[in-house]
Amino acid sequence: MKVLPSRPDVQVDPAPARGQATAMIEIDGVSQVFQTSGRQNHLALSDISLTIEDGAFVSILGPSGCGKSTLLYIVGGFVNPTEGVAKMKGKAITGPGPDRGPVFQEFALFPWKSVLGNVMYGPRQQGVKPAQAEAQSRQLIEMVGLKGFEHFYPKELSGGMKQRVALARTLAYHPAVLLMDEPFGALDAHTRTRLQNDLLNIWERDRKTVLFVTHSVDEAVFLSDKVVVMTRSPGRIKQVVDIDLPRPRRRAELLLDPRYQKYVVDIERMIDDTSEDELRP
Amino acid sequence: MISPRALISRSAPLLACLGLLGIWQVAALILNTDSFPTAIEAIRAIPSILGDKESLINILASLRRMAIGFSAAVVVSIPLGLMMGRSRVVASFFNPLLMVTYPVPKAALMPIIMLWLGVGDIAKMLVIFLGVSLPVIYHSFQGAKAVEEKMLWSGAAMGLSAVQRMIRIVLPAALPEILTGCRTGLVLALITMVTSEMIARQSGAGNILFNALDMGQYDTVYAMIIIVGAMGIGLDAAFEKLRGRLVKWSEPGFDIPLSFA
Repeated sequence: MKVLPSRPDVQVDPAPARGQATAMIEIDGVSQVFQTSGRQNHLALSDISLTIEDGAFVSILGPSGCGKSTLLYIVGGFVNPTEGVAKMKGKAITGPGPDRGPVFQEFALFPWKSVLGNVMYGPRQQGVKPAQAEAQSRQLIEMVGLKGFEHFYPKELSGGMKQRVALARTLAYHPAVLLMDEPFGALDAHTRTRLQNDLLNIWERDRKTVLFVTHSVDEAVFLSDKVVVMTRSPGRIKQVVDIDLPRPRRRAELLLDPRYQKYVVDIERMIDDTSEDELRP
Repeated sequence: MISPRALISRSAPLLACLGLLGIWQVAALILNTDSFPTAIEAIRAIPSILGDKESLINILASLRRMAIGFSAAVVVSIPLGLMMGRSRVVASFFNPLLMVTYPVPKAALMPIIMLWLGVGDIAKMLVIFLGVSLPVIYHSFQGAKAVEEKMLWSGAAMGLSAVQRMIRIVLPAALPEILTGCRTGLVLALITMVTSEMIARQSGAGNILFNALDMGQYDTVYAMIIIVGAMGIGLDAAFEKLRGRLVKWSEPGFDIPLSFA
């Protein structure tokens, strides 16, 4: 029997079975082939299957060119997989949507909009009244540490500040999943550390599902519940490592924690093995 | 309080004009021929042109044709250029066409157009339209092509449709480049306006100029050149002001980013 909601704006979801985490994203047998300028087809991703649970912070880790960003774009609906299917809450992904909010390495802010204008863009698009959208956006801007910069244009900001704006802009339309594509890759080490800490603080408040692409082992272990290690050419999942470290995580404590250190070393070895594989004929 | 340095840089265009007129004056005095009046004589002839009702009507008619030709060209060219920039199919259809027509002087088409449409307003506005279109299409095309893919993806994730992305992301993102094309187009509009009136001599600023030349009224000829030149400088300056306001967000000036994580 189908349960009809009494009010159309209230969505009634069937309750998940007790003791079983709900799958937010399911990637099922996804392969991606790119046409290269030569006649050859390049197999970027080969038969990837992965389930990401609701509220999990999952990192995809791998060398550059392993197709990890492509996998994220497929979940975002920006790229259609050649084979297989990606699902969000059980429904096949056919295009981008506000339930999946991307944050790119390149920031991709709207340069003609102020910080406030950028953050308000999503809520306004979704029909939130201007006054309300502005109030919410100002709160988010404060949360990412940019209070006082509301009327600055992106070009007046440093890289770290731009990425803070990009994060606030995406959070503003309340996506169920955050898709982060090497978001701190273009930043210097110091800024990177600060943003990682701030991201964790923000995430620990509402525990959104996060899919985080990175090539930094430290970053993946520090942030994630689960690290998906990928191999290169074609991109395959080598191993999924559960990171069993307590939260909230404090960087200073974690760096001294032998368990953290072991995760980092183990995963680095895995990646080294992968590189050796490639050298073999 | 304006510093002396700012005062100099602000009055630079005026000083350049005065310098040019000074050289003209000296050269005319040295050469001393009828066909080259001095700058002062030419400037003295300006009030009589602008005071004459018929000349004024002629100049206003020229400006009207230019405004219509320019506006029509901008309205057609921007959407076409943007579509070319975002769609490979549209680009591969129009780009060869553009490459072939770009170097053709549009005034050279005037005789054919006159043959079809006569010497009236329509023919002249069409030539202006053609002259303005190409740079505006080209710059809109380049601007739209350079729009970051990830910016469009961000918009798509917020729920913007393809048409909304075109109007609300591609258009503003390409605006600095589009306006560069419009600025070139504006100057070309003035040039094709005068040229078209020289070829199809019926009315307009170009016609006054050539009639005066036929009658040997050289001071009027030079006065008209000053008037047309001043119109060009004025329009360009006004457009630059508008452009500066519209794309303030992309202008250099506060180029040093704040150092703060």
